[in-house]
Amino acid sequence: MIENIYVPHLMTITKIRDEAENVKTFTLEFKDSQIGKNFDYKPGQFGEVTLFNIGEAPISITSSPANKGYLELSVANVGKVTSALHQKNEGDVIGFRGPYGNGFPFEEVSGKNILFVAGGIGLAPLRSLINQMFAERNKFGKISILYGCRIPNLLCFQNELDNWAKLENSEVLLTVDACPENDWKGNIGVVGSLLPNIDIDLENTVAFVCGPPVMIHFVILDLLKMGFSGDNIITTMERRMECGLGKCGHCNIGEKYVCKDGPVFSYQQLKELGENI
Amino acid sequence: MSATRIIDKKKLADFLETLSSDCEVIIPTVEDGNLLFSELGSSKLEDSFKGRPIVSPKEYLFPQKEKILAFDTTDKVNVDIKAYTNDKKRVIWGIRPCDLHGIKTLDAIYLSDFVDTYYQARRKNTIMMGLNCNEPCETCFCNSCQTGPFASEAYDVVFTDLGDKYLVKVGSDAGQEAVDKIPNLFAEATNDDEKKAGELEEKSKQSFQRKVDVDVAKQNLPESWDDALWAEESEMCILCGGCNFTCPTCHCFNIEDVQCGEKASIRMRYWDSCQLGGFTQMAAENTRENQAARLRQRIFHKYIYTPDKYDGAIGCTGCGRCIEVCPVNIDITHILGRVASK
Ligand SMILES: Cc1cc2nc3c(=O)[nH]c(=O)nc-3n(C[C@H](O)[C@H](O)[C@H](O)COP(=O)(O)OP(=O)(O)OC[C@H]3O[C@@H](n4cnc5c(N)ncnc54)[C@H](O)[C@@H]3O)c2cc1C
Ligand code: SF4
Ligand code: SF4
Ligand code: FES
Repeated sequence: MIENIYVPHLMTITKIRDEAENVKTFTLEFKDSQIGKNFDYKPGQFGEVTLFNIGEAPISITSSPANKGYLELSVANVGKVTSALHQKNEGDVIGFRGPYGNGFPFEEVSGKNILFVAGGIGLAPLRSLINQMFAERNKFGKISILYGCRIPNLLCFQNELDNWAKLENSEVLLTVDACPENDWKGNIGVVGSLLPNIDIDLENTVAFVCGPPVMIHFVILDLLKMGFSGDNIITTMERRMECGLGKCGHCNIGEKYVCKDGPVFSYQQLKELGENI
Repeated sequence: MSATRIIDKKKLADFLETLSSDCEVIIPTVEDGNLLFSELGSSKLEDSFKGRPIVSPKEYLFPQKEKILAFDTTDKVNVDIKAYTNDKKRVIWGIRPCDLHGIKTLDAIYLSDFVDTYYQARRKNTIMMGLNCNEPCETCFCNSCQTGPFASEAYDVVFTDLGDKYLVKVGSDAGQEAVDKIPNLFAEATNDDEKKAGELEEKSKQSFQRKVDVDVAKQNLPESWDDALWAEESEMCILCGGCNFTCPTCHCFNIEDVQCGEKASIRMRYWDSCQLGGFTQMAAENTRENQAARLRQRIFHKYIYTPDKYDGAIGCTGCGRCIEVCPVNIDITHILGRVASK
């Protein structure tokens, strides 16, 4: 039989965790354990998630390849497919095809200090990379994680943020845009406002930026102003996607398909592609 | 390949009839006044030569709507997934050179990297028989795009109308096999036949009413990115998608689950159009928010992105259908002319 690139694999939801307001993290295992054994991916890659009889949506893999045997997806409830997923229970079965996309550079940035700047659910794809970097800790210099959300209730992965902060040669700085409940002791302001609070060795630091488009836009401007070169700013593009395979045309920018040639690009590459970022 | 042949015009029907004994034969035919592709039998062969069909034959390789998967969730845990297959054998006769080239472009897109399962199955089972153009239509500009009016590649068999007979050239093993099925219908072509075809080609090339300087337009396009021309040219667009749907190389689609009953659905794919506002709509924003950006995408995709990404050939075949179909006269040759004259 010819392999059919559109057929999803069946995956069982083995765990559901409330991650933040309107965000849940799902742990998935392949029903066919053989497929699970052969499934390999890189941080920054994503899959097309099927809610049967409802539809598909592209979702980043947030678990790290260092953790074998399962995948985790953190999903914000925004529409048809994602709300159907939020209604699922442990033991239910969904579909998944992937991994798609290029993923983040890893070996290429070894030896460098790493600066993560994330907004909201944008921490999900970065979390995969962060955990893989901590799993191979000696390959990297200082790891700084700056993370911001609109309000405290939207902060994802709080336990992990606490743990990462305790690890050697690493720092975690949090911020929120506003705090309606007044129960936040940390920084208030957009995530870019944290940048002046950290020491950065420009020559030796690579920044990974992920979040809502406006946030990415302003953080990149901040980084450029600080003197980062376009090659040392790595980000992910979000585009409307249907196939994830470079066929349906929806995610096309310039001669690239974001689903296949991206979603990870350096700022330098994006500049050369032209279309608005 | 084998020597060039001829077939008497009156015998073409016999040839197609014989082919239809073990496969579906598709030819251009007139329906409600429009020249369309449809199945031999329901159609009159003499209509098939009346110019360029208003749609390309891509429908037979990449249908406007296609069932791809069927889901049944009656057993919640062991969800049943069925993949649709298609192994219908087809001959399409009367494909114009521009459309042959269009199929070559679709091949590059669908058969590279991840191979599109559905396109591949249909493509493998389709024999493409071309028909060279002695008389280009008013909107044709394939000559400028170097895809016509006579085909030089991408056909299994190609026919040239010599008046009372066709010159027949074979371009592949599959084409050879088809022609060999009824060898006595064909005779060897003479030098005169070949000469006549050459003259017809020259004459056809001289009769184009439209011309685009593709090289200059391509060269100037990047500079035109922020030009006011995109807003000006797209101003009247009514977002009907016709230009995309008639284009032989447009390959974009949506995937959608259509529910049938409470516990089952069919996953379909449908043609989509980059001229429609929803094409790039996401939860937080629309990344191509105005019609100027969408028109620019259509032109850049054909003239810059496709050649950059694949083998250098532009993704426009010069078939002129987008001009013909557009209800508000948005005209790619006019746009490219403006770009070239900058
Ligand atoms: C590479 C990639 C990785 C992503 N990773 C994550 C992740 O880890 N977690 C997460 O919560 N979200 C992620 N998203 C966003 C997620 O794909 C969309 O929120 C989801 O497709 C919305 O689907 P829906 O059916 O629930 O919403 P719909 O009911 O379809 O629509 C809600 C809104 O989303 C827009 N939308 C519809 N389809 C898409 C689509 N295919 N792509 C983008 N927007 C669309 C609609 O226009 C509408 O405005 C990712 C998107 C991409 C492109
Ligand atoms: S564009 Fe060229 S090949 Fe196509 S129908 Fe017109 S003349 Fe024939
Ligand atoms: S055919 Fe004309 S009106 Fe219709 S979408 Fe294309 S450019 Fe717009
Ligand atoms: S999502 Fe279909 S081409 Fe990228």
